[in-house]
Amino acid sequence: MRYLYALASLFVCLSATSCREELPQINAPDKYPKGNLSQEFDAFWNGMNNNYLFWDVDPTDWDGVYRTYKPLFAQLSSDEKDVEQAYAYYREMTARFVDSHYVLIPSDRTMASIVPAASRVRKRPDFHLPIPNAHYSGPVLRSYLNQNSVVGLSPDSSAVLIAGKIKNTNILYFRIPSFSLKEWYTARTGTAKAVIQYVFDELQQPDLRGIILDVRGNGGGQVVDLNFLVGRLTDKSYVYGANRMKSGMGRLDYLPWVEAAVYPPAGAKSFTKPVVVLADMHSVSMSEATVMAVKALPGGNGRIVGERTWGAMAPIADNNVFNGGGFPLTTLFREVYMSSGMFRYKDGTMYEGVGFPPDVEANYDGQALQIGKDTQLEKAIDAVR
Amino acid sequence: MKRYILPLCFLLLFVFTSGAFAQLSVGVAGGWAKNYLYTNVGYRVFTHYAPATGFSVSVPIRYSVNGWLAVQAEPQFIQKNYQLRRTGYYDGIYSATTNQYLQLPLIGHVSFGGPRVKGFLNLGGYAGYWAAGANEGVTPNIDHASEADTYAGVLEEMPAQHFNEPYAFDSRKDRRLELGWLAGTGLSYQTVRCHFFVEGRYYQASSDQQKNYMLNQIPRYNQTFLVQIGCLYRLNLN
Repeated sequence: MRYLYALASLFVCLSATSCREELPQINAPDKYPKGNLSQEFDAFWNGMNNNYLFWDVDPTDWDGVYRTYKPLFAQLSSDEKDVEQAYAYYREMTARFVDSHYVLIPSDRTMASIVPAASRVRKRPDFHLPIPNAHYSGPVLRSYLNQNSVVGLSPDSSAVLIAGKIKNTNILYFRIPSFSLKEWYTARTGTAKAVIQYVFDELQQPDLRGIILDVRGNGGGQVVDLNFLVGRLTDKSYVYGANRMKSGMGRLDYLPWVEAAVYPPAGAKSFTKPVVVLADMHSVSMSEATVMAVKALPGGNGRIVGERTWGAMAPIADNNVFNGGGFPLTTLFREVYMSSGMFRYKDGTMYEGVGFPPDVEANYDGQALQIGKDTQLEKAIDAVR
Repeated sequence: MKRYILPLCFLLLFVFTSGAFAQLSVGVAGGWAKNYLYTNVGYRVFTHYAPATGFSVSVPIRYSVNGWLAVQAEPQFIQKNYQLRRTGYYDGIYSATTNQYLQLPLIGHVSFGGPRVKGFLNLGGYAGYWAAGANEGVTPNIDHASEADTYAGVLEEMPAQHFNEPYAFDSRKDRRLELGWLAGTGLSYQTVRCHFFVEGRYYQASSDQQKNYMLNQIPRYNQTFLVQIGCLYRLNLN
């Protein structure tokens, strides 16, 4: 009988110890009540908790943020002064985010977006403003390119593409102001196609010495351009890095790293001459993917000239595709725009928030630019030679 | 850990208070396991966790106290697998997680019935160590977007990219010690020396797979059904 008693006791003990934590209810950030700053803080905090990709490496203590700011937001009303205070809190909370795509976009379009990476880049000792577009269509076109160079406009006339040979050389120069090349190439309007076609045709010329892709001040764009442009420099796909996406709602829930590769379009041939990407601290996102993809060219003929890039290396997609990344808000802010994955270069280094370093450093020289002298471009030309 | 001390004491009590009937048997068992993850996906759309199958191999060591009662320790290798699957437009994206556990169930065993064919009930607790894991699956290849205008699914928009990698444990997040309880029932057939059995067993973890590393964390508990067959060999005959 004592054994039965013991067995019954065992069952009771095990049943008592089998209690599990209840599953919390977590709501989508855009489903929180509108017009309430405290509610929006909860929406924002939880949205970041579940969707931000860089918790693995980010220095921000996100639980600490909740404990600090939750009571502060609870004291805010919706008057103008409190809205300004809330905006300042958000700036503080996000200041150290590694994700350099990160933009907190206000609902009021007259308010400035919060861009932690911009503040970080401004603190660089060699910080300078982007080189004006007029420099490329002015001094570069006049002083550095042959007369038969080609200039084209994107369909919406917002971007000027320039391609031509560097004077007295057989070096091809291609100015890419932003990445929608494939879209512009297939568009029925705009004159960008002629420039892009010129570049593609010149790449086939056997006596070409090399090519300079100028992505200074290029804020990025469509990822399909990587294969559309860099893919034409190789006849077989090659790995230039790896992506890692989220696997669940937890901060540290990740899928394994998967290879990020360049895939050549049909008929592409290997380009073995020097390929130089001229980049600066305002080369962002797809510009940086181009930098890394060229650097990783299988023939080792890619070189980077200029400055350390912005530092936004990771891919962007709709939140639903990878169950992570940007999400909407409803009150003071309308959207959190951020990366959908993490990216590391093929050497295993993550340059997010840091920027990709050049092989040949060429610092911005504002005084020289004022007299039409582009010292960075000159270093790029030397790198091809 | 304190809450598990009492049941362990009861088991030890069985062992050391047994009478002249005492018999020691050792054997092997193996079977098919199906694991469910007790958790949720929060507000993720077109996403759900699904159970996955695996296998188990164990070495039961049974100490029979009398004709109907025994205690059993059963060093065991068991897979506790699960999948995260997408549906609808995202159909085809999945991540199948294979987890290998080394665990030690301590079981109270009660049998009933005739001299040869008997029914039995098992009840006990276990401690397990999450020894290894792997992730296999498909994700959209964001670097290789399609050129079509419309897509029937995301894997037409971005082709499938397969992965199959060992799981890299993260000491900040992963709790590798698992504690829980189990209950099982089955039938056995006894000969003079051997003891063949078939059993259905249920394991429920009472410890989260993750440490408490973040606020608003969604816990994950393994719930495992096992169907196994085995054989025990009596080392001593009374």
